[in-house]
Amino acid sequence: MSVALRSYGLLFRWQLLRMRRQIPLLVVIQLALALGVVYGLAFLLPNIDSRSALFLATGAPTLTLLLLGLTAVPQEVSQAKLSGRQAYLETFPVPRLAGPAAEVSFWLVVQLPGTFLALLVAAARFDFALRPNAAVVPAFVLVALCGATLGYAIAMVARPETAQQIASFISIGILLFSPINFPIDRLPGFLAAIHRVLPITYMADLTRWSLTGHAEENVALAFAVVLAWCAAGIAISWRVAVRRG
Amino acid sequence: MLLQIDHLTKIYRNGTRANDDVSLAVDAGEVFGLLGPNGAGKTTLVGQVLGSLVPSSGTLTIEGVDVVARPSYARAACSYQPQTSVPIDGLTPREAIEIAGRIRGGDRETVRRRGAGLIEALDLGEWASKLVPLSGGVARLVAFCMAAVVPGRIVVLDEPTNDVDPLRRKLLWELVRALADGGSAVLLVTHNVLEAERCVDRLAILGSGRVLASGTAASLKTPLGGMLRLQLVLEPGASMPEHPTFLRQHSVAGRRVVGEMVAGDASSAIAWATGLRERRVVEEFSIGPATLEDVYVKEMAEAR
Repeated sequence: MSVALRSYGLLFRWQLLRMRRQIPLLVVIQLALALGVVYGLAFLLPNIDSRSALFLATGAPTLTLLLLGLTAVPQEVSQAKLSGRQAYLETFPVPRLAGPAAEVSFWLVVQLPGTFLALLVAAARFDFALRPNAAVVPAFVLVALCGATLGYAIAMVARPETAQQIASFISIGILLFSPINFPIDRLPGFLAAIHRVLPITYMADLTRWSLTGHAEENVALAFAVVLAWCAAGIAISWRVAVRRG
Repeated sequence: MLLQIDHLTKIYRNGTRANDDVSLAVDAGEVFGLLGPNGAGKTTLVGQVLGSLVPSSGTLTIEGVDVVARPSYARAACSYQPQTSVPIDGLTPREAIEIAGRIRGGDRETVRRRGAGLIEALDLGEWASKLVPLSGGVARLVAFCMAAVVPGRIVVLDEPTNDVDPLRRKLLWELVRALADGGSAVLLVTHNVLEAERCVDRLAILGSGRVLASGTAASLKTPLGGMLRLQLVLEPGASMPEHPTFLRQHSVAGRRVVGEMVAGDASSAIAWATGLRERRVVEEFSIGPATLEDVYVKEMAEAR
């Protein structure tokens, strides 16, 4: 087994042991969030047509993935910086990205039950059949990874207290002003233009297409944009991880 | 030398010169003490040894490898107990020790055996498998075990005895000695001069980022050769009596008065101090050879 894999495995185990008492609560929160997104947001729309239902149903897993990656991850990493855990881990002989990889993959695993439940509940609530294609796993992994690596990068670059505020700001933006649960054409022009650059709408497109085959936008473009943001997140995390005082 | 530091200077971006032309060397099997007050540059020096900080100038090698250029070599070579408490929340002490050892490359069986040995040696059995908040002293001992379970070729211990009770402190010093006897170089950062004197083979005293003195404890005390140390503990409420001419320097801290004198004045000093005790000015007194603490105090006074 390579040093990198062994290090990653042990750091992941450390993370699991550290969080084991909180995992049930974290999973319950994710499940509640998933249910809330499917049922709660539907109350805003008195007459749900098939297109709105499609967006609500497939937006739920995207939202749970994103909120975890872009809010929980930076908050957790900021806490690690404040407590000294981050600096201590950096003195161990492990590849620089093994720690971030362990942290990010832990949060990905935690949100899996919520994501699945969101899908099942949405399919039942809006009475439509999911038709996942072969790209569903890579699409979900990419979306989750992109959110979590960007969240990690924010926490690494910003001061801990600032990172937590940025995370709160982002969660409001994701919940209320992002075309995840509704089509981008409902947004005013300037917000739509911003979302042509940000990865959020492309993430929603990817998950929607991989689950239903329905594509609002060019799927290849969506993959490319999300991949580029993910690479940027990893590059920034790497740059900060190898930086020395 | 296993660790060789030459003319190392570290200036932070805000202009603080934390280390100034520091040179020292530590060999395998040696416990090397790094003494100095707060702000002396000890932690900055340690940061550079661990590869976390980049020197502004000078060289730093471990086993001949330039670790400024290859910080990963430093991380592999050094196991480290930080000055702050190690955050191991959510893990039992045994789990924390074992996982640290495994990350440092130890196999499961060796780590389990060594971890159990350290827990027993430091009498930590009652906490070893419990998920409870640890007291400061126990947490520091667990942090020590995490550095010692699979020791690096250099073991860096930053204030390992802080908050540790006297009995376990004694056990800890024995384990520090055992690490060196096992072939590691131990770099020991401490404020505790008296304890360090008993444990270290050689030491350096740092002040304002510079090495003020270095060598064995005995060699550092040579300039004070022939000097004796008189310590008085005043009775509560008593004031310091006028000190006799043979007491060359003295300092007062609370009820404790420490002075130095040449050996030839010992009998006069005993007679004087005995008289003070009979008059109930002094509760107790002692006379002994100069200690490393005297050297430390003298170096700090001269540096100022």
